[in-house]
Amino acid sequence: MDNLNNLMQGFEDVIAPMNLLLALIGVLVGTAVGVLPGIGPAMTVALLLPITYGMEPVQAFIMFAGIFYGGMYGGSTTSILLNTPGESSSVVTAIEGNKMAKAGRAAQALATAAIGSFVAGTIGTLLLVLVTPLVVDFAISLGAPDYFALMLLSFIAVTSVLGASRVRGLISLLLGLTIGLVGIDSVSGQQRLTLGIPQLADGIDVVVVAVAIFAVGEALWVAAHLRRKPVEVIPVGRPWMGKKDWKRSWKPWLRGTAYGFPFGALPAGGAEIPTFLSYATEKRLTKHPEEFGKGAIEGVAGPEAANNASAAGTLVPMLALGLPTNATAAVMLAAFQSYGIQPGPLLFEREASLVWVLIASLFVGNLLLLLLNLPLAPTWAKLLQIPRPYLYAGILFFASMGAYAVNAQPLDLFLLLLLGLLGFAMRRFGLPVLPLIIGVILGPRAELQGRRSLQLSGGELSGLVGGPVSYAVYTVIVLVFVWPLVRRFVVRPLRERSA
Amino acid sequence: MSSPIDERSVEDARPPQGKDRAQYGVCAFLALLGTAVIVDGLAIPDITSSTDPVGPRAVPVLLGVLLLVVAVLYAVDVARGGHGEPEAGEDVDLSQGTDWRTVLLLIGAFVVNAVLIERLGWVISGALLFWGTAFALGNRHYIRNLLIAVTMSLTTFYAFAIGLGVNLPAGVLQGIL
Amino acid sequence: MTVLVGYVPSPEGEAALRAGIDEARLRGEKMLVVNTSRGDAYADPRFAQEPDLAHVREDLAALEIEFDIRQVLGGGDAAEEIIELAEQPDVSLVVIGLRRRSAVGKLIMGSQAQQILLGAGCPVLAVKAAQ
Repeated sequence: MDNLNNLMQGFEDVIAPMNLLLALIGVLVGTAVGVLPGIGPAMTVALLLPITYGMEPVQAFIMFAGIFYGGMYGGSTTSILLNTPGESSSVVTAIEGNKMAKAGRAAQALATAAIGSFVAGTIGTLLLVLVTPLVVDFAISLGAPDYFALMLLSFIAVTSVLGASRVRGLISLLLGLTIGLVGIDSVSGQQRLTLGIPQLADGIDVVVVAVAIFAVGEALWVAAHLRRKPVEVIPVGRPWMGKKDWKRSWKPWLRGTAYGFPFGALPAGGAEIPTFLSYATEKRLTKHPEEFGKGAIEGVAGPEAANNASAAGTLVPMLALGLPTNATAAVMLAAFQSYGIQPGPLLFEREASLVWVLIASLFVGNLLLLLLNLPLAPTWAKLLQIPRPYLYAGILFFASMGAYAVNAQPLDLFLLLLLGLLGFAMRRFGLPVLPLIIGVILGPRAELQGRRSLQLSGGELSGLVGGPVSYAVYTVIVLVFVWPLVRRFVVRPLRERSA
Repeated sequence: MSSPIDERSVEDARPPQGKDRAQYGVCAFLALLGTAVIVDGLAIPDITSSTDPVGPRAVPVLLGVLLLVVAVLYAVDVARGGHGEPEAGEDVDLSQGTDWRTVLLLIGAFVVNAVLIERLGWVISGALLFWGTAFALGNRHYIRNLLIAVTMSLTTFYAFAIGLGVNLPAGVLQGIL
Repeated sequence: MTVLVGYVPSPEGEAALRAGIDEARLRGEKMLVVNTSRGDAYADPRFAQEPDLAHVREDLAALEIEFDIRQVLGGGDAAEEIIELAEQPDVSLVVIGLRRRSAVGKLIMGSQAQQILLGAGCPVLAVKAAQ
C-alpha cells in the first residue's frame, strides 16, 4: 500500500504543468531522434543527456522516461517503413511490418505497433511497480560477496550469452574494465593509469565513454561507409486500425508482453529472444497462417509488445540492483550516476520520491507517446529526408557539446575523439560495444565489492563465496556456460522455423 | 538472419575475401595495452592493510594478464579463420571500402573544436565544428551551412548555457552574448 | 535530336513527362528522361524508384518513342546535372515541371527550376501539374 501511495505522489509531481511539458518534450525529442536512421534508443538517451544537466534530477528523469519510450517507438517506425531495422530487437517487427506496409497497410502496422507498445509498456511498468520492491527487499539483505557474484554474472552474461563471439565479447569487456580502472583508487587513494594527467584523477566520465562509443563511433563508422542510394520510403497516412485488426492484435499484445518482461528483467535476457519467441508463437496460433510472410498483423503486434515489455523489464535490475542489462539501461544508469545517485536497493530508501516520479513518468510518457504518435507518424517519416551531412554533423555537434558540458574541460573532447575512434575500430572488427559500457560502469563497483569481501576474510579467496545467494549466483554462472548448448539445440531450431 | 530479404541486402554482401589480417593489429594492441596496464600496476606502491588486504595493485595486474591472455586467444581465433562481421546498419554500405578522407576530415573538425572551444567559445568553435563536419560529409552549400551552423551554436548556447546553466564557455564573445 | 525531360516521381514530374512526350512526337525526336538525386539523404522522394521507372518505360515503349533513361546519383544538384546534360549538342529542348512555392520557401531553398531556366543553353519548356 505504501508503494501505491508513493506512486500516487509520483503522479502528482508529474502532472504539474511544467513537468508535463518536460515529459512531452522528452517524448517528442526521443521519438524524433529515434526515427533517424542509425540512431537507436541508447544513443538517443546518451546524446540527449546534456540537455538535462542544468535541471533538477526529478525533472531530468521525467524527461528521460519520455526519451526512453520515445526512442524505442521511433526505432520501430523506421523498421516498418524501411525494412532496415537499426536494432536487433526490431528485426522481427520489420519482417511482417514492412510486408504490411508494402501491401498498403502501413497505417495498420504502425497503429498496432503503437498501441501494442502502449499496452506492453503500461503492463510492463505496472509489473515494474509490483516486482521491483520485492527484488529490493531481497537485495537489501545481500552482502558484498553476493554483489560481487552478481556483477561477475553480469560480465559473463554480457560477453558470452549476447553476441556472436565470446572472444570478441571478452575483448570488449576487458577494454571497458581498463577504461573503468583509470583514476584514483577509492580505497587506497593511489593513482592508476592516469599517466600523470591531473584531470584523469577523477576517472573518465561514463557519459563521455557512452557518447563516444555510441554516438561518435557510430557517426564515424557511417561516415566512412555512406550509402549513396536513397531507399524507398513507403508513404504513410494517419495510423488507424479496423475492428478486425483490433480483434487480431489484442491477444498477441498480451502474449508478447508476457514473453518480453521476464526476459528483460533477467541479467542476460535482452529483447532479441522474446521477440523471436513471440513471433514463433503468433505464427503457430494464428487463424491466418497464409498471411505470415506476406504481412500478418499478429507478427507485428506480438514482437513489438515483447520488445517494449522487455525494455520495461530491464529497469528492474537497473533500479533494484544497479545492474544494467542492455545498452539503454546502461546509459540510464550513467545518467543516474552523473547526478551522484547510485541505483541499487538503497535507492528506494534514499531517493524514494525520485524513483516513483520516474516510474510515474514512464506511465505518462507512454500515454503521451500513444496520443502523439498516431497523428504524427507522417511527420516522423519526413525526418528521413534530412541530408546525411546535416544529420551526422548534428550528432557530432551534440556529442561534443555534451562531452564538454560534463566537466567543462577540453581534455574530455580529446577523450571523446579517442574513444570514438575506438568505437569505430570496434565496429570495423565486429566487437560488440555493450560489454565495454557494462565494464566501464560495473568494473569499479565490482572491484570495490570484491575487495570488501576479501577484507572480511582477511584476504582469503574463500571470502568471495559467502551466503546462500552467492552460491545460487555461482550456480547460475555455471548454467550460463551450459546455455550455449541450449541455444544451439533449442533456440536455433526455433528461430530457423520462424524465419 | 535470413528473414528481411530485399534487393539491397544482396547488393551489400561483401565480396568474399581472404583472412582479415588487420585483426592481428588488434591482438598487438591488446598485448601492448595489457603490458602497459601491468607496468603501471606494478609501479603503484603496494599498500595493504587489515582493512584492505588486496591493495590497489592486484586488480590492474590481473586485468593486464587477462588482456594478454585474450590477445593470445584472439590471435588463435584469427589464425583459425575467425573474423568479426563489420557492423551493418540502416545507413551503412559495406560494399565500398572505407572512406578514410571523410574520417580524417571529421577528426580534423573535431580537433579544431577541442583546441578552440575555450579560446573562442562554444558559439564560434561549435559553429566551426558543424560547418566542418557538414563539409567533410560532402555538403557544398557553404553559405547555407554557415547560417545553419551559427544558428545551431547560438541556439544551443542560449538554451543550454544561459537557459539551463549547462557548462559552455562564452570565450571571446564574453559580454557580447 | 533529343528532348530532355527532367523527371521526378510527382505530379509535376508526370506533367513534364507528358509535355515531353507531346514535344518528342511533334518533332519526331528521341527522348532522354533524366532523374537525379544527390543521394545524401536516407530517403529522397525525388529519386525515382524502380516501379516509377518501369511505368515510364512502359508508357514510352507503348507510344513507340525512342528513349533513354538516365539516373544520376550522388552528383550535384538536379539543376547542375540537367544543365550539364543539356550542353550535349543534340539536345533541342529541356522540359521541366514547376512546383508552386511560397516566397519564403523559395528564399530558403532556392529554386532548381529557376537555375535551369537561367543556366540552360537551349530552349526550356516549364510546365505545371494539372490541378
